Amino acid sequence: MVVFEHVAKRYPGGIQALKDVTFCLNKGELAFLTGHSGAGKSTLLRLIALLERPSRGQVIFDGRNVGKTARRHIPGLRRRIGIIFQDHRLLSDRRVFDNVALPLVIAGAPYPEIRRRVRAVLDKVGLQDKERMYPPMLSGGEQQRVGIARAIIGKPPLILADEPTGNLDPELSADLMRFFLQLNELGTTVLIASHDLDLIRRLRRRVLVLRDGQLVDDVPARMEASAG
Amino acid sequence: MTASSRTGSGSGTRLPGGIRAWSRRHAFSLLSSLGTLVRQPIASAMTIMVLAVALCLPAGLWVALDNASHVGQDWERLDTLSVFLDGGVDERQAMRLSSRLSAWDEITAVDPISPSEGLAELAGQMGLDEAVGAIEYNPLPWVLEVTPTTASILPELAERLQREEGVETVIVDLQWLERLAAMIEVIRQLTVLLALLFAAAVAFVVGNTIRMDIHNRREEIEVMALVGATRGFIRRPFLYSGLWYGLAGGLLAWVLVRLALAVLAGPVEVLGDTYDAELGLRPLTARLSLVLVLGSGVLGVIGSWLAVDRHLRRIRL
Repeated sequence: MVVFEHVAKRYPGGIQALKDVTFCLNKGELAFLTGHSGAGKSTLLRLIALLERPSRGQVIFDGRNVGKTARRHIPGLRRRIGIIFQDHRLLSDRRVFDNVALPLVIAGAPYPEIRRRVRAVLDKVGLQDKERMYPPMLSGGEQQRVGIARAIIGKPPLILADEPTGNLDPELSADLMRFFLQLNELGTTVLIASHDLDLIRRLRRRVLVLRDGQLVDDVPARMEASAG
Repeated sequence: MTASSRTGSGSGTRLPGGIRAWSRRHAFSLLSSLGTLVRQPIASAMTIMVLAVALCLPAGLWVALDNASHVGQDWERLDTLSVFLDGGVDERQAMRLSSRLSAWDEITAVDPISPSEGLAELAGQMGLDEAVGAIEYNPLPWVLEVTPTTASILPELAERLQREEGVETVIVDLQWLERLAAMIEVIRQLTVLLALLFAAAVAFVVGNTIRMDIHNRREEIEVMALVGATRGFIRRPFLYSGLWYGLAGGLLAWVLVRLALAVLAGPVEVLGDTYDAELGLRPLTARLSLVLVLGSGVLGVIGSWLAVDRHLRRIRL
């Protein structure tokens, strides 16, 4: 699903965010990406979603070299990736409903279908009674879940999550992880950047460890792994 | 919903097509652009006002011009030739020449004016009735007022009349009409130049407004791009906004010109009365109204296109 081949990313100004990263994420896999802050986790996710282009090496998503994707193909590629941001990236002047509906509106879905699917997905993340609220009226955890609803509504085959549990209390974090495991069991490939090592260890899934822009460890999933 | 179901599109990068999806996306853009205008009514109204004022000047000038050139047309009956006959020509000769000239193809009518009629008219115009009474000898010759079929042949006709026997001089009282025509031509060119300038102004005003709008919605644009919106999708609401600004500005300009015409109607009628002429103001023609409103709309779209494109390029979308 996602292949990194000797990928390096150097930002203007000489900051080397990634150095020679190689790994492969298979279809249907769920993996964690961990490392101290500044290790390059966000950069790695941004490279997959084409928010950045690699300085060297290849990033391949779904058999396509992402770095060489023509600009007009980028929107289509992004629709096949659900991205969850640490800072949510919600539109504060639009209702929860409209925020979640955005990917479907962009795709030109008919309104009855939009309404049905938004309701369904809000139900799934437990925000069914918040659709008429504006994001600033919600708590951090609720905003995070709006972001998740928006990421999954288009049924993308790949979900990228950047520190999704960053500002949540342990209980909510565990809930959220269960949710990702559920998605994964239904076939979605999931890559989660997180430094919540306790939680990651408990889930016994594959863990990619970044340090100073290099992949220093790749711990495979353990057999006895199970959700929550 | 089940997370396992995949998106239907085969290659994955093709956008969901179909006229229906396309029209749904358009409807969304249209509605969201209207929403933006309504959400900031004062800013929108100010922009529209600026556009209207900018458009009023060339439109008003054009209407004035249109009216002025029609004044010239209405008064073409004044394009007559005054044929002054020799002093020795008597009434019989004058009448014979008059009837002969009226048979010419290029002449519509010949109106002979006797010396005494001429003197009476002159005295009447100048308020010199008493002084005229004191004149024993009438110095005026017979005069034939010749009305040609069209104004364009006046110079040739004057030349031909000049060659007739018994004709002293032919006076073509055309100079003021020629001056008016020349003046109209100057103002017409000026109007065209002003129209071009103000058209550019409209595009730039709209562009600038859209630029500020983009600035305010930078976050929204980025989020839309992140969830897979195309450039076209991001651009479209702004193009619609530009169209609304342009159309509204054009419409308001039209209303302002109409109001100005209504205000001017009274004084112009008074002015017409002093010339014993029916000087009604001609309103904006339907074609000019259409050009004004639609042209303004098109300029709005162009202006916002320039602004959006520049911005999208800058944030590398």
